[in-house]
Amino acid sequence: MRRLFDAVPSDAEAEERAWSVVREAYAHREPVVRRRRSPIRPALVLAAVAVAVVAAALSPPGRAVVNAVRRSIGIEGAQPALFQLPSPGRLLVSGAGGTWVVAADGSTRRLGAYSQASWSPHALFVVAATGNELAAIEPASGRVHWQLARPGISFPRWGGTHTDTRIAYLTGNDVHIVAGDGTGDTRVSEAARVAPVWQPGTAKHVLAYVDARGRVRIGERVVSHAYVGARTLAWSPDGKTLALGTRGEVVELAVSSGRTHMFHVAGVGALAFAPDGRLALLRGNGVLLVGHAGIRTLFVAPSRLAGLAWSPNGRWLLSSLPAADQWVFVQTRGGHRVLAVSHIRRQFGGEPSLDGWAPGA
Amino acid sequence: MGALRLDLPVAGDRTERALIRDAQRGSVEAFEQLFRSHWPRAYRAALLVVGDAAAAEDIAQESFLAAVRALDRFDRRRPFGPWLHRIVVNRAIDWARARALRRESFSDVELEAAGEREPSAHARALAEGLALLQPEQRAVIVLRYLLGYTPGEIARLLDLPRGTVNSRLRRGLDRLQEAVRE
Repeated sequence: MRRLFDAVPSDAEAEERAWSVVREAYAHREPVVRRRRSPIRPALVLAAVAVAVVAAALSPPGRAVVNAVRRSIGIEGAQPALFQLPSPGRLLVSGAGGTWVVAADGSTRRLGAYSQASWSPHALFVVAATGNELAAIEPASGRVHWQLARPGISFPRWGGTHTDTRIAYLTGNDVHIVAGDGTGDTRVSEAARVAPVWQPGTAKHVLAYVDARGRVRIGERVVSHAYVGARTLAWSPDGKTLALGTRGEVVELAVSSGRTHMFHVAGVGALAFAPDGRLALLRGNGVLLVGHAGIRTLFVAPSRLAGLAWSPNGRWLLSSLPAADQWVFVQTRGGHRVLAVSHIRRQFGGEPSLDGWAPGA
Repeated sequence: MGALRLDLPVAGDRTERALIRDAQRGSVEAFEQLFRSHWPRAYRAALLVVGDAAAAEDIAQESFLAAVRALDRFDRRRPFGPWLHRIVVNRAIDWARARALRRESFSDVELEAAGEREPSAHARALAEGLALLQPEQRAVIVLRYLLGYTPGEIARLLDLPRGTVNSRLRRGLDRLQEAVRE
């Protein structure tokens, strides 16, 4: 029996393919710093910390310390409100307070009670979704051009050219495509709960999405292995590379060659390509930039960040600090300024997600 | 769970334990040696459980990626092989179960596609025989006869009672031998 098993062929090419992927992951792994185990029992440590915290909070100087800690979760010196954007363009945000367009001068327009939205390819329209409704809206006037009722709509994404566009969205675990005029709605396939993305720079309608098995597909074609915990997918601006963020790594897929480049960066919650092709990653409190020399930290916040949007000129990155009710603008070109604005929830009626920063006035 | 054996000398004089230590310290050569010494069996084990070359490649590769993620926390006193094989076989069982739901068949064409050389008549018969078994039976047979674990070790690897392992082995082997004889 053993000889029979040994007769099963191996596959040297598969081994080489796998080694190239595994070697990349090994090269980019983040070694864990080993800590010596304290001889004091963890329960005793916790109890001591709890007593100290309560004592500190009850004393007048302690209260001052607690207040300082509360302040420290945000960026110091933040503007009390969003008076203007640091860069030209229009920002699209959605949340409990609806979908809003923010102009560069800080003026805002509410488009309706939608919870998710995205720009059309040339930012002439917005596609927005509530739970059971998809709508195409003109951002300047707020006029709704068409609506489509479907159950459980999420992740609407608009792609195409000036004259011919498509919108992809999910209902539950199905990806759908509808024409830009709201006609021809079709269920395409099962998909993971990851926003689908349209390939830029092509007149063809090429949609990439993560299928139910965790594999990246371009149209019907499977272009990756199955990945566990896929979270976010993005095209590079030239349409040549797809970046996939998963629970444990970030994978760049070169579409023409099929080659993959993997970074072992755990916990990436969002990723976004700049217009010039730089890839930014959001991980916990930090924003990382992927470059030729590897990954470097661009910015570390005092508390957890959420969402990522590049300015249209690629000079600024915007992220949100929900615990401090702030937005943070981080300059990536022409300086290293960090600008923060507070009271975001008051301005937008709730915590908004960052849906995109598009050119135009 | 009792300790499983295998601290194999993998190449030259260097033990697996030394390779893991060096790989944890950042030696890509040591990590490659670990990969090269374990890949063929990991891949074959996956292939024999799932019967699909592409899926076997995915499963074996994902198992090594899991190893990379856990490398710094890995206890060097434990053997690497059983830990890796547990991941490979469990993932392969999951994949095979999911595929069984779609009523696809185990195909020797895929076995051919997997190899750089023509599979022998014996290998073909083995693939056809394995196709008759449940994924769980295939896994136990593969762990026993390809990877060389004892029934007790298989029970610990798969978190199964030893009696279940023995019965799966016995029934699986009977059906497999019939198929191979034919």
